Amino acid sequence: MAAESPSSVRKVVVHLRATGDAPILKQAKFKIPGNDKFAKVIDFLRRQLHRDSLFVYVNSAFSPNPDELVIDLYNFGTKMAGVSR
Amino acid sequence: MEALKYVWEGAIPLQIHLHESQVTTLPPPPPALILAPRIGYLPLLAPLIKPYFSSTLPPGVDTIWFEYKGLPLKWYIPTGVLFDLLCPEPERPWNITVHFRGYPGNVLIPCEGEDSIKWSFINSLKEAAYIINGNCKNVMNMSQSDQLDLWRSVMNGNLEAYQQVSSKLKLAIVEDEYTSLCRSKSQEGFGEKDLAGQVKTGRVPVRLYVWSFSEDFDDLEDMSPVDNWEKISYINRPVEINKEGKCFTLHDALRILLPEFLSDESLSDAKVGGVDVEDTQKVPSEDVSSNKADEDQGQNTNEKPQACCSPSRAEIKLIRIQGIEPKLEIPFSWVVNNLLNPDRFLHICVYLKVSQ
Repeated sequence: MAAESPSSVRKVVVHLRATGDAPILKQAKFKIPGNDKFAKVIDFLRRQLHRDSLFVYVNSAFSPNPDELVIDLYNFGTKMAGVSR
Repeated sequence: MEALKYVWEGAIPLQIHLHESQVTTLPPPPPALILAPRIGYLPLLAPLIKPYFSSTLPPGVDTIWFEYKGLPLKWYIPTGVLFDLLCPEPERPWNITVHFRGYPGNVLIPCEGEDSIKWSFINSLKEAAYIINGNCKNVMNMSQSDQLDLWRSVMNGNLEAYQQVSSKLKLAIVEDEYTSLCRSKSQEGFGEKDLAGQVKTGRVPVRLYVWSFSEDFDDLEDMSPVDNWEKISYINRPVEINKEGKCFTLHDALRILLPEFLSDESLSDAKVGGVDVEDTQKVPSEDVSSNKADEDQGQNTNEKPQACCSPSRAEIKLIRIQGIEPKLEIPFSWVVNNLLNPDRFLHICVYLKVSQ
């Protein structure tokens, strides 16, 4: 995950990595406004993968609750990768 | 340590009403009175609540959820935090409504009973570990039985059992400035050596709930209730404790958490406050209460200019942590060591008046 421009509307690049039996996405990196909730990432993946049941982890470590802001998650560490099932 | 015990024993008296759409009998059932642990989660009360209402429910499958003044309550927020956040003037008993049908899937994420809540709790713990250590190995490597013991200790409010299991997680502790002061006074050098074996960190995981408004209220009771979660800003930012000599206060922490609201003017004010605190610490006093009084005075003198000097920004009207309304001058390390939630996050509710 990488952030651009320090303004309040800065965007974050999310790198999505598949794990388990999740299909690999053609496009693995997406830009998303930092003020969006993590729910946006989950919804996006749900549409892309056509799956209802989905687990998304940050850095293969923890699964944040959908209300958390993408920018907050970005600031926890420097890298973020989505992993899905 | 004693404060932590109070936090774990803390409970909120609930008066739970069944929503009228699910009442099929006459007269309607009386409300259920239940004492809910602060550190617990509302759906965990289902086994206690169900017997009150089971005879009147319409046919169908149970999906329990709660509502307060029209706002569906998020089940993964601890009960005490919901109460602190949504009741400006603490209401006892707290009148909330229970639903067993018609789950609002557009507002709330699905909850399949205890398993969902346990999953959410463990994830929260992992997230905290990630913030503190940069990874969650210790939580992930926990044995199944330890994980279950930890979860049960939270469900049963058993602090001793919790401390036993959670000590294995080796999540860094924050040095309590007051305790370390006492320790160096009594020259317990050996005790300190033991502590030094533990990892220390400055990074504290915080979940901040900010209710901001622009109106003026003489009485918090006059505030219109939150009818939409969009009105609450949910901020998750770690606070790095800056140990450069000065006492790092709750106010310092809030400035790190809310830089867009708490302006530079209040920063310079706080510096004045910091000097005040330092001065009181220089006084070779064993008497804690006199120290406290000095700090109170310090707060009063620097709070006023802050309110009038920064009209463009925001003013903290109220701050609640575990039901307590702490003074902003309190050392942040004390707050962390005593008011932490079992998920290792510090949950802070802030009522913020934003000038326009």
